[in-house]
Amino acid sequence: MNLRDVLSPFYAWKRTLEKPFTIKRPVEEVRRGAPGYRGFHINDVGKCIGCGSCSRICQNGAIDMVPVEGIKSGHGDSGLRPRIDYGRCCWCALCVDICPTGSLGMSNKYNWISPDGDEFVFTPGVDDKNWDQSSEGYRRRDETWLIEPVKTDMPVLEPEVRRRSFEEVAEGYDDELARREAMRCIECGLCIEACPTHMDVPQYIKSIRDNNLEEGLRILYETNPFSESCGRICTARCQDACPLGREGEPVMIRWLKRYITDRTAPRAREILADFHSLPQTGKKVAIVGGGPSGLTAAYYLKSYGHNATIFEMHDELGGMLRYGIPEYRLPKAILDREIKTILDTGVETKLEVKIGEDVSLKDLYDDYDAVFVSIGAQRGTSMPIEGIDTPGVLVGVDFLDEIAKGKRPNLGEKVAVIGGGNTAMDVCRTSVRLGSKEVVVLYRRTEREMPAAHEEVEEAREEGVRFEFLTAPTIISKKDDKLELECIRMELGEPDESGRRRPVPIEGSEFKITADTCIMAIGQKVENVMAEQVGVETTRWGTFEVDEDTLTTNVEGIFAGGDCETGPDDAIKAIAAGKKAAYFINRYLKED
Amino acid sequence: MKELLERLEDRFTVTESDVERDNLAFITLPSKEVVQAATHLRDIEGFGHLVMISAVDYIERGIFQLTYILHNYDKHSDIGVRTEIDRRNPVMDSIHHLWAAARVYQQELREMFGIDFPGSPRVDEPMILEGWDNIPPMRKDFDTKKYAEETYFPREGRVTYDPARAMEEKNYPLEARVKKRIQKLLREGKDED
Repeated sequence: MNLRDVLSPFYAWKRTLEKPFTIKRPVEEVRRGAPGYRGFHINDVGKCIGCGSCSRICQNGAIDMVPVEGIKSGHGDSGLRPRIDYGRCCWCALCVDICPTGSLGMSNKYNWISPDGDEFVFTPGVDDKNWDQSSEGYRRRDETWLIEPVKTDMPVLEPEVRRRSFEEVAEGYDDELARREAMRCIECGLCIEACPTHMDVPQYIKSIRDNNLEEGLRILYETNPFSESCGRICTARCQDACPLGREGEPVMIRWLKRYITDRTAPRAREILADFHSLPQTGKKVAIVGGGPSGLTAAYYLKSYGHNATIFEMHDELGGMLRYGIPEYRLPKAILDREIKTILDTGVETKLEVKIGEDVSLKDLYDDYDAVFVSIGAQRGTSMPIEGIDTPGVLVGVDFLDEIAKGKRPNLGEKVAVIGGGNTAMDVCRTSVRLGSKEVVVLYRRTEREMPAAHEEVEEAREEGVRFEFLTAPTIISKKDDKLELECIRMELGEPDESGRRRPVPIEGSEFKITADTCIMAIGQKVENVMAEQVGVETTRWGTFEVDEDTLTTNVEGIFAGGDCETGPDDAIKAIAAGKKAAYFINRYLKED
Repeated sequence: MKELLERLEDRFTVTESDVERDNLAFITLPSKEVVQAATHLRDIEGFGHLVMISAVDYIERGIFQLTYILHNYDKHSDIGVRTEIDRRNPVMDSIHHLWAAARVYQQELREMFGIDFPGSPRVDEPMILEGWDNIPPMRKDFDTKKYAEETYFPREGRVTYDPARAMEEKNYPLEARVKKRIQKLLREGKDED
């Protein structure tokens, strides 16, 4: 050791009496997170739909889903938003990588100090933070996304084959395709609300993943005895609500449902025999109309132990499923076996009896303990225009009815279809199959406003159907052996009651179209003559007036539901009404 | 790289190989040949540095995949040696005699995956999981969420709602009741109204 080593520590004392010198640099500047750092979360609450995927995936249980003031629940948004407990968050970003909407991200802010521990539990995007606008930090990228945004394609017949036959277009998923599609579901359950009969979608999709299709079928039948038909033709409102549709394609819920029923069909009766039913009560319920609503009501009423008798004016059951939906979407054999499953529970049927004409509703009302009217809206409406009675002008639903009964009329080379709903699509696609070379659909609004399912429109296009939007016929006349449609172009004005923009004719835009056949598919109404036979009230649109909660009419013991109550709507809504009617009819009968 | 792989294929049972870049390749070997191959790579091929050892739990295939990454300072190239071991009997030969640093990786793999390296110094000592009484936490069958729920108490005042249930209660309580009653009827034969 030398002297220097001994003295040098004392050298440091030379500034002992000086003022301390400090350079102040804010923490922000010094300890800034790297651009891609995973710090406190940010959430675009307008984009977030509260599906709760972040909360379910969090391995630390750090995320709660909480209601937020001003955010409404419904239409594919739960109204909840994620609240994060930073006492638990480990910054792994699984929540960001699973987010279907991409609303959730992480800023690169990590250094924040507060003496109050409760401040570290907050709802990003709702509780304002100074990093909310940060563009740095971590965001989900396509390659880190834990969701498969692309749907599993359904094998379909080629358009060329379709044009020539009524064979079913969609071929159905095989085991592998179904499993792959089932894997995409994130089990949020936002779809359940969107379904009119509130089917437990995530549960039955899970049954596919678990390869337990028998349980899957039972889950389907708990809410919908027409699952097999719905697996083919449902309007699938659930898919519109699916969060995967926000940034990708929704889970093909309808095709998965079809897969379950396709695979279990041979044993459906046996599998459903596991369901309980109550002892016979001896009460009798008359059901007027054997469509989806009436048959559904009958199915559940049988489980309640009541006798159900269906009165149907046609010689076969199924209603619009049979007479409105063409074979290429729903094969009759499929519908038959599904209806048989319902009838096998012991439902009685009286075919070719028209209530209101052959038998009055009054008589039924007197003979039975309760009546459920589910007659649908089967009378096609036509336009109040000149020449509507010209031969060659047909009504859409009547035309489809003929086709369903096996007739194959010759429509000629060119067919003009008027309307933009699903019936119009069924009509135009059927016309193609009947051999018409040129099929054109006239619709008075634009494609955006069309009530028809997008998929139907696309498939029609593939089959060669042409669309004329913003067009309406004004006069129809016979010219030689052809029809001449005088048409006018429209433009969209202010929104009407339905929220769609009202079409307004453009003066001077008249033009002519010739066609061999013109088919009107612009709406349907209810044939409600039977209503007055017992004094049941109807609305100004001719539908049955009911208490919306219980489906009871003003006459005690008479219930009504389905299209005859709502006006023309989809099958699933009618099924929901049938189920609800069964419940409230049972309650009524028990009180009796 | 290509020549190196050819030389290795002559000597060892290379079941898979893949050249990622000019200076990065991976080979897969039977577990019995890994120590020999590592020795060869270190002493003959100039891969003098052990970058790391890692494991992946392929629970569905019943194996752990081990990857040894070695670096050659002269050529600035890396080689990954992969091998698979039986998940039910997770034992692997130690390489601590080739690289002293391997001991730490092996101790960690023992702790996090439960893979044993007999003879590796201090291999059974915990690194961070002192007092751990569960299955090794990096195994796929370790339920992190369940562990978190059981181990850590929730912060006071926390509440959460299930999205589907919340929508049901708020938007369609009546229909939800109808649905549940009918489910109960079908499943249990009970009419509760």
